Amino acid sequence: MIRLYGEKRANLVRVFAAKLRSACEAEDLIQDLYLKVQALGDVEVEGDGSALLFRMAHNLMLDRLRSQSRASARDEGWRSLQGEALGDQQVADMPSAEEVVAGRQRLNAMMTAVDALPPQVARAFKLHKLEGLSHADTAVAMGVSRSSVEKHVSAALKALMAKLP
Amino acid sequence: MTRAQTDIDAEMAEAVDWLVRLQGETVTERDWLDFDAWLTASPAHAQAYDAVLTFDDRLDLDRRLAQAEPTAEPLRASAGKVVPLRPARRVWIWSAGAAIAAAFVAGAVLLPASGLLGAHETTYVTGVGERRTVALEDGSRIEMNAASRMTVRFERHARRVHLGDAQAFFDVARDSSRPFLVSAGDTQVRVVGTQFDVRHRDGQVAVNVQRGLVEVRPNLPRDAAPFRLRPGQALSHRKGQRADARVSTVAVEEVGGWRQGRLIYRDQPLSQIAGDMNRLFPRPVKLADADAANLRLSGVLIVDDQDAMVDRLSHLLPVRTTTTDDAILIRAR
Repeated sequence: MIRLYGEKRANLVRVFAAKLRSACEAEDLIQDLYLKVQALGDVEVEGDGSALLFRMAHNLMLDRLRSQSRASARDEGWRSLQGEALGDQQVADMPSAEEVVAGRQRLNAMMTAVDALPPQVARAFKLHKLEGLSHADTAVAMGVSRSSVEKHVSAALKALMAKLP
Repeated sequence: MTRAQTDIDAEMAEAVDWLVRLQGETVTERDWLDFDAWLTASPAHAQAYDAVLTFDDRLDLDRRLAQAEPTAEPLRASAGKVVPLRPARRVWIWSAGAAIAAAFVAGAVLLPASGLLGAHETTYVTGVGERRTVALEDGSRIEMNAASRMTVRFERHARRVHLGDAQAFFDVARDSSRPFLVSAGDTQVRVVGTQFDVRHRDGQVAVNVQRGLVEVRPNLPRDAAPFRLRPGQALSHRKGQRADARVSTVAVEEVGGWRQGRLIYRDQPLSQIAGDMNRLFPRPVKLADADAANLRLSGVLIVDDQDAMVDRLSHLLPVRTTTTDDAILIRAR
């Protein structure tokens, strides 16, 4: 199992990073997984063990997501901290003013590109990526199926990747 | 709708589909297996996926940056909103790892120095693998990490601590008539009552705040305003440099993680991790080359047995380790 973990580690991080939206959190989680795998010792597993490894990874990720009220609290804290950092000269730039400006410019460029998309595609993208709604909530808000949401978001991302540097 | 708008290559398009699928709420074990198979099928797939992930990350970051743009609300009003993620409880729990580390504690050496003008000065030293909690007469407590040295001096109008090469977590009792001053190299820290961690190692100073307000002067000119750190903020500074200080955010519950036997790293070089381990265990960890020294780690290392820690490191980083009786050698793979 340890060997398999070694082989799959990079791919597991890729899945974690997609969902947790944080490289740090993904690294944290992969280490938790390592501890779990190590605790297993030399168990007999069916097949090559991938299924078991992925199930463990998946459950660990669900646990982490469940405690993400914590993470959104962190997001909130991050935001208010930043407000202070920017409002108070004494506290150094956490992202520098230039970074904020550059970020805003990129966001504006993106919004322009988004507005050029077909309305449904743009709406799904905004609700999911910008408002932070889940696929399911986006589907409800738009009155379409979840798989349509996925298609729209996919289409939007592809278009944006083609358009933006 | 022109064709050019979706003009990215097929791999990229597949990668986008994967990312979106994985970000959904109905990901199954089957998806993991399929995704893994797709990645394994071609290195170009992994490359494309990583590019998409980076793009998506930046998008998320830009969104957050834009939201962080302050609407110039009064500072003091928002100050109260910066709550620790978990209420900053006092944790004196000793994990298994910490207990093992504590087993090394042979008692810190106390060197009472000659009292100058009535103010008494005490030097505390911990050796490799030792840790110690110092209870001061004003009710403050200082937890010293291994291989640390500090001098405490109480004066009528100030409480002073000088940190040599050291790491310590401070839980300062409130006393507005006597500010608590910590000096570490060319950096001064000033507080009234609060909880924070100061690390002063190899010329690098880092201050992490868990509770309260902490003023830090990292080699600042006399007339410059100090940095004011709040819970969840950290400042780092290299001794001798000017205007290099950077403030970053940290998770409040991670501040002083070493006290619970957890070494928490955010993109730190292996050289620092080796240094930390060498303060915990007598058998030295050595790095074979610069490649190894420059490898970077983000994550948590639990402090238990040295061999076990090295073994975990070798799974977290692309390194190979060789253990002998008197040293552990780590080289980049």
